[in-house]
Amino acid sequence: MLRYLAKRALTYVFMIFLTTSSGYLLAVSTLQPALLEQERIPRPTPEQVVNSFRLKGLDPTLSPWERYVDWLTGILTRWDWGRSPNGAFINAEFGDRVWISTRLFLASIILTLVIGVALGVFTAARQYKASDRAITSYSYLMYIVPAPIAYFLVQLGAININESVGERVFFVTGISTPGLDGDGWAQFVDMLAHYAVPTFAITIVGWGAYQIAQRQYLLDNVNADFVRTARAKGLTRNQAISRHALRVSFIPVAQSIAFTIPAIFAGGFFAEKIFAWHGVGSWSIDSIALQDVNAATATLAYGSVIFAVGAILADFATTLVDPRVRVQ
Amino acid sequence: MTNLNTIDPAAVLDEGKFGGDDVVIGKSRIILRRFLRNRTAVAGLAIFLALTLFSFIGGFFSSWDKETIDPFNIGMPPSAEHLLGTSQAGIDLYALTVEGTRVSILIGVVVGLVSVLIAAVYGCTMAFFGRKVDKVMLFILEALIMMPALLVVAVATSGGANGLKNTVPSWLLLIVVLLVFSWMGTARLIRSLSLSLMQRDFVKASQYMGIPPHRIVWRHLVPNIGSLLVLEVTRGVTGAILAEVAFSFIGIGIKVPDVSLGVLIGQSTSQVSTFPWMFWAPLIVMFLLTGSLAMMNDGLRDAFDPSSSSVGRTKRNSATGKKQSGKTQKKIK
Repeated sequence: MLRYLAKRALTYVFMIFLTTSSGYLLAVSTLQPALLEQERIPRPTPEQVVNSFRLKGLDPTLSPWERYVDWLTGILTRWDWGRSPNGAFINAEFGDRVWISTRLFLASIILTLVIGVALGVFTAARQYKASDRAITSYSYLMYIVPAPIAYFLVQLGAININESVGERVFFVTGISTPGLDGDGWAQFVDMLAHYAVPTFAITIVGWGAYQIAQRQYLLDNVNADFVRTARAKGLTRNQAISRHALRVSFIPVAQSIAFTIPAIFAGGFFAEKIFAWHGVGSWSIDSIALQDVNAATATLAYGSVIFAVGAILADFATTLVDPRVRVQ
Repeated sequence: MTNLNTIDPAAVLDEGKFGGDDVVIGKSRIILRRFLRNRTAVAGLAIFLALTLFSFIGGFFSSWDKETIDPFNIGMPPSAEHLLGTSQAGIDLYALTVEGTRVSILIGVVVGLVSVLIAAVYGCTMAFFGRKVDKVMLFILEALIMMPALLVVAVATSGGANGLKNTVPSWLLLIVVLLVFSWMGTARLIRSLSLSLMQRDFVKASQYMGIPPHRIVWRHLVPNIGSLLVLEVTRGVTGAILAEVAFSFIGIGIKVPDVSLGVLIGQSTSQVSTFPWMFWAPLIVMFLLTGSLAMMNDGLRDAFDPSSSSVGRTKRNSATGKKQSGKTQKKIK
């Protein structure tokens, strides 16, 4: 098992290296921070711009390949991901951003998965009853709404609640109230008020896909031979479903989870933009607007790492639930 | 699942019933009939076609076009003169919506069709040749999935001083980028399905009979994953339309002066309370578009599935003891 995981991990490290490298080369050959410097007042001379960039290790006169080699040696020897055009160190900023993103998404991802899979099983067991129709229709509705628009509508709803109550119950943007003093309880209430709206929005948009997938796969298995055998041996329908059909039907769902978690993190920048949580996602977009090669590449590398972790976890989960899979 | 080459008694019965006697009905006619029997799907198709028609000829019903500014009606609510009101710049919103619908449908249809085509060719090739070819192609596939599409969209549509964005319209650029990053998931799915089909007796038999690979793929693989392909087309179209709206909503993707539904929705979000019609009109058109595609999905899947026993609503109601309808009999293994 360990050997298999190590082998997979090695493949993914190679893959991360490839995507990050190609991302860096793409970014370094298209992004030109020197153009933005021209908009400063007073306008710096080209020599000044080149000098200031050279000091930060962003020398625009070097060829993309030379810069790539410099950048790569920096990471491999000193774990130094370089600096932004404004002088900030990527390493320092990266930690903050990742922490913010994790706080925003962790609760939502867990809620999304648990609610989605549970409702999928619930509706599959009650196929074509009113509850099944209502829940499945809702999931299909979520499927045709673009995520940012759904977030925006939830935000509008929260604002309406605030207005009708007459005081500020929910904070629709931001992470915490700056300069809030008070005891632990006040801090906690403030945190809840900030977390509620984004978590709610991401969760209700997210669980539809899992519900549909889990329902579909479970229904495919409910009439399989091995479930019929289990019924014939005297198990009740619910026992047969939960002990035999559920395990098999969870395999494809586990696979899809692995591929959607990175999508939530990377695509989370819609949520980050709309709720003004400045995490990794919004950083990646901002860094492109600011023509920041190193920051853009760092976010890309982060996305790849998350993807690799998700894929390995999916393999691991599959071997746990599927008795047919043997790891060599 | 039974061997698909054997004659399904239910299908023979159905064919007999609808043909009146034992005549053989052509495959395309069966597909058409199965589709037409699903009322939701037909309604979805009708809405989608109506919207497409609207996006092409809708401009003739209004005297305004998307460039003319009406200086007397700036940010006005819907009236007799301006059917859907005007934008903050004083441009007729009806004309903008027509134009935006056309761009959105164009992006959706092109990306949906072409990406599934790429995915089918890629996935079937992987499954058919297996071994080394499969390994290398899977590696490329996963590396592409790893690349965050978003970043590339942003670089491509806003990237610095390269001449690309000035010479190519932004909708075309967005189509290319969406295409490059939309086919991998489908290709993975098609690969896994084709792999299991390759193990089936009828494929093995035809291989031993010396039938050339392209004929095996065309006669045995494609019909069996056909329902999936069609489903992936409608899903791909929906996905592309949603991606366009999402990207344009936050300001990457389609750039002004090009118009799309996403641009119209995105522009109006900051003043929803003061100018509600600017937000809701394009949003409702978008819902109609994606909703009609979702309605078509189910009917299309049943119509193309060779193992489907669906005969639409009539049978589902008559088969009271059997809860399972044709919809769920398709097995994804």
